[in-house]
Amino acid sequence: MTTQTARTPGPAGGPTTGAAATRSAARPRKRGAVDRAPWILVSPFLALFLLTFILPILVAIVQSFTKVTRAGLFGEEGVTSTFAWFENYRLVLEDGNFVASIWRMLLFGIVQVPVMIVAATVLALLLESASARWPGFFRATFFLPYGIPGVIATILWSFLYVPGLSPIIDVSEMLFGYTPDFLGAGTVLWSIANIVTWTYAGYNMLIIVAQLKAIPSELYEAARVDGAGPWRTATSIQLPLIRPALVLTTVFSIIGTLQLFAEPQLLKSVSPAIDSQYTPNLSAYTTAFAYNDYNLAAAQSVLIALVAFALSFLFLRLTNRSSR
Amino acid sequence: MGLAGGAAAALAGCATPGTTSVNTQPVVPAAAAGEKITLTYWAWLKDLQKVADIWNAKNPNVQVEVSWIPGGNDGGYQKMYSALAAGGGPDLGQVEMRSIPEFMLVNGLVDLRRYGIDEHADRFDETLWSQVGFADGVYGIPQDSGPVGMYYRPDLYEQAGVPVPTTWTQWAEVAPAIRELGVFIDAFALDDASIFGGHAMQAGATWLRSTDDGWVIDMADEITLDVARFFDKAIDDDLVTTSANPFSPGWYAAAADDKIASLVQASWGDALLESVSGAEGKWRVAPAPRWEHGYGSSFIGGSTAAVLANSKHPKEAMEFAVWMTTSPEGVDAMIEHSGIGWSPARDYIGAAREEPSEFFGGQRYNTEVFQPATQQQNPDWQWWPITQQTFNILGDGFRGKATGGTLVDAVVAAEQRTIEVFRQKGLTIRKADR
Repeated sequence: MTTQTARTPGPAGGPTTGAAATRSAARPRKRGAVDRAPWILVSPFLALFLLTFILPILVAIVQSFTKVTRAGLFGEEGVTSTFAWFENYRLVLEDGNFVASIWRMLLFGIVQVPVMIVAATVLALLLESASARWPGFFRATFFLPYGIPGVIATILWSFLYVPGLSPIIDVSEMLFGYTPDFLGAGTVLWSIANIVTWTYAGYNMLIIVAQLKAIPSELYEAARVDGAGPWRTATSIQLPLIRPALVLTTVFSIIGTLQLFAEPQLLKSVSPAIDSQYTPNLSAYTTAFAYNDYNLAAAQSVLIALVAFALSFLFLRLTNRSSR
Repeated sequence: MGLAGGAAAALAGCATPGTTSVNTQPVVPAAAAGEKITLTYWAWLKDLQKVADIWNAKNPNVQVEVSWIPGGNDGGYQKMYSALAAGGGPDLGQVEMRSIPEFMLVNGLVDLRRYGIDEHADRFDETLWSQVGFADGVYGIPQDSGPVGMYYRPDLYEQAGVPVPTTWTQWAEVAPAIRELGVFIDAFALDDASIFGGHAMQAGATWLRSTDDGWVIDMADEITLDVARFFDKAIDDDLVTTSANPFSPGWYAAAADDKIASLVQASWGDALLESVSGAEGKWRVAPAPRWEHGYGSSFIGGSTAAVLANSKHPKEAMEFAVWMTTSPEGVDAMIEHSGIGWSPARDYIGAAREEPSEFFGGQRYNTEVFQPATQQQNPDWQWWPITQQTFNILGDGFRGKATGGTLVDAVVAAEQRTIEVFRQKGLTIRKADR
């Protein structure tokens, strides 16, 4: 030990104090370097993470508690920013349209998320079943819609929804004499659900397929030995074992539902039923960038985040409890 | 430490943007003689650079660069607001007439009277000029606009055996005969209240006025309510379609299928109408139907070239904008390259617009209909700091029509809501005495 420290080239200092000084300093310095290394390595990530993620969130929270008051016709007689406590939150919660948009998204999620997860699960099970033909081809095909950006997908679908352009409406009129209204006040939500399901079912399917592939083949063999058919294998082996994937995709979908934006924003131009506050995110976007009220928009955004957080947490709690 | 310090500084720098005014600071001096400067102009007009190039060739020291942005609230304003909030942005920005007060609210515009705009005032249409002036200042140079007329299909009116209406009363009388052919006389946009605003403007309403002691709102006045009742009835009687807004894909499909007999719209609708497939030669233009009171026409749409707050060369930017919007070469170039709406120049509508139109069957519709329409405008109309929000509130209310509401209720509610939003912002507003 002593020889080691003695050999350690000390810093420029007197030889008398050098040994004692290096002895106490060497160890922490070495450990210090080891301690620092991970921080140095993650610092590029951390810097970006702080600047582009944490900081904007903090700014949004600060802004949501700020109120700007203007005097005169346009604020030419003075503009003051004050701490507003929960004034912005009160205004947001009093805004019937914003609250309605959150309820609308809950209704949307209660219907669309289960439909999509069931569809994704069924597709995944079919692809992974022993009798599947060309699973690679179909997996790619089912996944393909996810490769089309949401904006393009919505434009494509809007041409199938607009009367006068839509072949679906034409065929329905010809065969059944019935004119479906895809863009009416009561139906457009489900037309959006259809686009979202179409886009994301394949993506969720892929996550489930990955989990299915991770099931050890011994389990299948054991099931087969026990005389389990494909149905029994699915319900007793595969479904219980892909539970984590189902939980994961459901949580993602719940968060995604509350963040619905591109589809209604684009369908707005063809459907008079979609207003400027149709979804919570559309509401926040309009408030911030069309009305220039960043403070109110910040309060709306914080509330959206809180609701998404609460719902995801609730869902995880429920699934955890039932698994115990 | 450095990071945390930077974060704290950034946080401190994040005061709500747009809370200081450029118009209380000293006037920016003109560029020195011989100094070469470059102006930037953000606009959504197409090929505007070609117009600027004409100016650039003649003004080697003041070069103008145009950047294309998405139209207004489709992203262009968002971009400008963000740039202003960050302390930057172009010298000039395309800002709609109705959005000028909104930009003023974030202190985004330069008062051009401080740079001598008054000497150019008589080059512009009077009504449009009155719409860019607020609180003793001038905040934008009118660039294009849209006097309203009525586009119509003579063949469909003939088929229905009814005359082309000159009043709204007559319009309502002939509409059922047209409906019997399976054709709508027009479309009513439930979600775009700006057209309804145009009707009210024509009927003589003035929704908001700026006075010395704050804003005065008179949105739910009898005139506007009458207009609302009129269209409530037209929608209830199924005379107009509400499912296809003018110039939406559904509307184009219906128009191409001969299901739309007429369209009360601004002059810039002509270019859009030309993209209806197979429409060549089928349409004509007539003056807009009149209400029993009010004016012969209204302005729908219209934009300005506004000098934005962070411009380093406001005076030169203003001079370029005046040249572009009022000189014959500027106007002609903007019509040819950018397809602008109606020119705001007082004495010059553009050489191309004096010619007979092939699309409208040889009609000289610009000189026949739209030029007189600019002389029959509501001079009192003013835009207000939350125009877009009021229109959205109104549009959101109008959508209720599909589920049993009425336009009248929506107007009354929108007035109330507009007052609330004004007060939330701290602005003074009161209801007009009526």
